[in-house]
Amino acid sequence: MSYGGTMPLHPSSQSDIDEIENLINAGTHTATKVRPSSSPTPVVPSVPAAAATAPGGSPRIGISTDALGSPPDTLTEPVWDTVKRDLTRIVSNLKLVVFPNPYREDPGRALRDWDLWGPFFFIVFVGLTLSWSASVKKSEVFAVAFAVLTAGAIILTLNVLLLGGHIIFFQSLSLLGYCLFPLAVGALVCMLEGNVIIKIVVVSVTLAWSCWAAYPFISAAVNPRRKALALYPVFLMYISVGFFIIAID
Amino acid sequence: MEEGYTSLPTSHLLGSVPAVIAEEKPSAGASQSLPANLQVFPPGNGGYIPPESPLGGEEQAANTWKGFCSLSSYTPYFNVDTDVVVDRIISSVYPMDDFSRKIDGSPDLYGPVWISATLVFMLAALGNYGTYLIQKKSDLNGDWEFDVSYVDWAACVVFGYAVAVPAACYFLLQYFGLNANLIRLWCMWGYSLFLFIPASLFLVVPSEIFRWIIIILAGSASSWFVYLNLMVSTEGSDTRPLVISALVLQFALALFIKIFFFS
Repeated sequence: MSYGGTMPLHPSSQSDIDEIENLINAGTHTATKVRPSSSPTPVVPSVPAAAATAPGGSPRIGISTDALGSPPDTLTEPVWDTVKRDLTRIVSNLKLVVFPNPYREDPGRALRDWDLWGPFFFIVFVGLTLSWSASVKKSEVFAVAFAVLTAGAIILTLNVLLLGGHIIFFQSLSLLGYCLFPLAVGALVCMLEGNVIIKIVVVSVTLAWSCWAAYPFISAAVNPRRKALALYPVFLMYISVGFFIIAID
Repeated sequence: MEEGYTSLPTSHLLGSVPAVIAEEKPSAGASQSLPANLQVFPPGNGGYIPPESPLGGEEQAANTWKGFCSLSSYTPYFNVDTDVVVDRIISSVYPMDDFSRKIDGSPDLYGPVWISATLVFMLAALGNYGTYLIQKKSDLNGDWEFDVSYVDWAACVVFGYAVAVPAACYFLLQYFGLNANLIRLWCMWGYSLFLFIPASLFLVVPSEIFRWIIIILAGSASSWFVYLNLMVSTEGSDTRPLVISALVLQFALALFIKIFFFS
């Protein structure tokens, strides 16, 4: 599976070729379940999109091929299968992004299979938790939290792109949403707990965790001389969310 | 952005890598006689200056302006490094006229955008914290609540001011026939807001006298900065009313910050 000596591929077509190869291999072996191959394909570290699929990450449960035929119609599968597939993907993306794992240093591999369901859940969850904790103006609190997080993620991605960085727009949105998970946990804890000191401690820990999760992806995407310029707005957004969590009671 | 590099004959610039000389594109050929100019917005004739070049008045450049909706046409305004931004921020705190020289060749929009965003967060957060401290100090009966409307007001006021006032100034200067550059004005006004960030930290202290002293100091320093840079930009005495009103407006912003957020 080496492509040396041929014209260099566009980074995104590398992954497409991997998928086609998988389908071909699965078809010729008449296997019913396709696992993404964990063979080492060359990865371009500076472009996060060019990566092999995460090994052991998201098993494509339920996709079966028969001799190069098309995969079964996902329209007719049971709803539980669809939901389970999405949930599995969310969990695997979460494990790759937020928790320590050996693939964190390789940003392209980590969120190869990005999705927007996870970020959507976390943003709505943080908004709902803050709104529940607030004693007055609940709907305004939700609106502000949701707007800050959503518009913030979009603006942060644009910021990296404008600074000359290399990221894929939706992959970055997905990433910033997944890195919100620790703060969502922190918001839940702070909703249940009333003491200010404990809230400050919990929010500080989860804030540091969120920033630590987002750091390698953002810093790998830009020129090292502009790393701080790309990272500062990310930290600003998470710090402002953390502040909301502490202050709203 | 690659076509921007390959069309530039940069071999006469010190320290730059000689570009691959590609065949001339017809559009680049048409614009070669016009100087690359970040002083005009939108830069219809040439929108890119390589970072190493001085003022860039005589540079030939490919036309990189692709319209309002394309992201790459705004990239030249974010072509700054961390140390450049820090340098500009420091020179905005001391109201000397270094600042104009620093942004002469390449005004940036990164500073204004993120200084405004930081100021919005600071005003909302510290305004609420200041209210909390005052209520604790005076032992009022009610519970303190986080007032979310501070965020809305802060965002509207700060972003509105940072966008509308330089634009209005630009239109007025154009009306008077003076040459004005919208990006420079946005850049300058954006950096002038930086002073309010440390000021808002000090405004948390729940002492009325102290707060007034702080805001008067910050407002004066910021207005003086705006005044100096506008004088450099306009260089004409018949725009005196405009400059004075800009100064007053900046001071009014400072007063509004104090009265609304830290009363």
